[in-house]
Amino acid sequence: MNDERRDAEAPAGRASQAGQRDAAAATPAIELRDVVKAFGSRRALDGVDLRLPAGSFLTIFGPNGAGKTTLLRILATLSRPTHGEVRLFGVDALHDDPEPLRQRIGLISHRSMVYGDLTARENLMFIARLYGVPDARARVNELLELVELDHRANDQARTFSRGMTQRLSIARALVNDPDLMLLDEPYAGLDPHGMRLLDELLDRIRPGRTFVMVSHDLERGFASCTHALIIARGQVVLHGERARLDQGAFRETYLSVVGSLTSDVEV
Amino acid sequence: MGRRKRVQANVAGEAPARPRATAWQQYRALLAKDVRIELRTREMLVSMGVYAVLVLTVYGATLSQTGNSLDILNVASGLLWAMIVFTSLLGLNRSFANESADGCLEGVLLAPVSRPALFLAKATSNFLFMTAVEVVAVPLFFLFFLAGADVSSTAIWIVLPLLAGTIGMAGIGTFMATMTMDTRGKDVLLAILLIPVVFPLLYACVAATSTALLGVVGQEAVFWRSLALAVGYDVIVIAAAFGLYEFVVGS
Repeated sequence: MNDERRDAEAPAGRASQAGQRDAAAATPAIELRDVVKAFGSRRALDGVDLRLPAGSFLTIFGPNGAGKTTLLRILATLSRPTHGEVRLFGVDALHDDPEPLRQRIGLISHRSMVYGDLTARENLMFIARLYGVPDARARVNELLELVELDHRANDQARTFSRGMTQRLSIARALVNDPDLMLLDEPYAGLDPHGMRLLDELLDRIRPGRTFVMVSHDLERGFASCTHALIIARGQVVLHGERARLDQGAFRETYLSVVGSLTSDVEV
Repeated sequence: MGRRKRVQANVAGEAPARPRATAWQQYRALLAKDVRIELRTREMLVSMGVYAVLVLTVYGATLSQTGNSLDILNVASGLLWAMIVFTSLLGLNRSFANESADGCLEGVLLAPVSRPALFLAKATSNFLFMTAVEVVAVPLFFLFFLAGADVSSTAIWIVLPLLAGTIGMAGIGTFMATMTMDTRGKDVLLAILLIPVVFPLLYACVAATSTALLGVVGQEAVFWRSLALAVGYDVIVIAAAFGLYEFVVGS
């Protein structure tokens, strides 16, 4: 569905689409080579290689402590690997100036990253000013409408329900119109209605962006992705395009690495 | 750039030119956010203010038995600075409460924010809140303990060491509070780290304050030397904190 949308927004014509695909293949959105992140003697990531074309949706699965969030933090330029190469949109994220890259990244976490004592509008205006968004007020109004919080725009964020806070968090992540969206267990703590709303929102913001989502929910994560990856003990166990993956084998691999945690996981 | 153009650019992995905020604009946004939150919640101001009054109350009790045998004027500057240091510690610990809750600091770091601008904004807001508390607490200290004392006409000069001391405490305190914000026992840890580091500043400020209270006339050299030491300390530690802040928030 999303590929269709992307195609619908892209100029018509096989030639231009093929050209875009070639260009995308030449410059992947994410390229990791032998990435290691060590905390003392413990390796949270241990030789991770990854290449993700621009416009893809990668879902990362793995048990707790597998290194998923560490990987996401490295992609968000919030953490530096101990060893290895990280290139985002062809830019060396470790040696080049990270600020232009940060301008292109959005993060939705299970932590809201919004100030409870500021109103929804103040939170978004604050972030818009940090990014230097032109016509910030109009952008904020547009986002408040998108996440259906325009009627609560002037209420303090601490008065919001979990679902509303998560929607504000999504608006916050979209302020800079990011090309790379990172989602760290975005469904955590949401009720079914909140999950459905989040699904709808993600569908609406998906065109033209690259997504990386960390999830424990195999069905939901697998349904929305174009690429899937299983990570365990800091190492990539399985990675590939969803279309080429055997879903049954993928599920078995996932369950085997999750091990004793399977009873807690929705499958 | 329209969505259609963006789609083309993004899929091709090109970096569309985007406007960026200057460090000055980011500094103003960060400072305005801190001031707005504090004016709304008054968490730092109230806790620091109440703590300062409690310290004054304890001073009142502990000094009540000394009668005339102790000339309070001789120890006043030390008592005043002890109150300022402990009150500031409380405020500095609270200054990152909003940032660590819900991962807000991480959200700020995710933006292309100049790390020095982030440090300066937080240090400025801490300086403003500490100064606001001192504006109330210092006159109260004079009222409670020095009302009948023979305070020199140069007492007003204590404004200078107060300013230098508060700038230094806010600067290095902000730096260290960032280091301890996500640690267990951060309240104690900040005190353990900060007090030895600010000792030279404290020493210089107490000396300058004492000279001002007892009379600067004939002691100008002591006053200015102490003040110069405090200002020099401020310049060195704030420059170091400014340069190292990227490393501290990054790790």
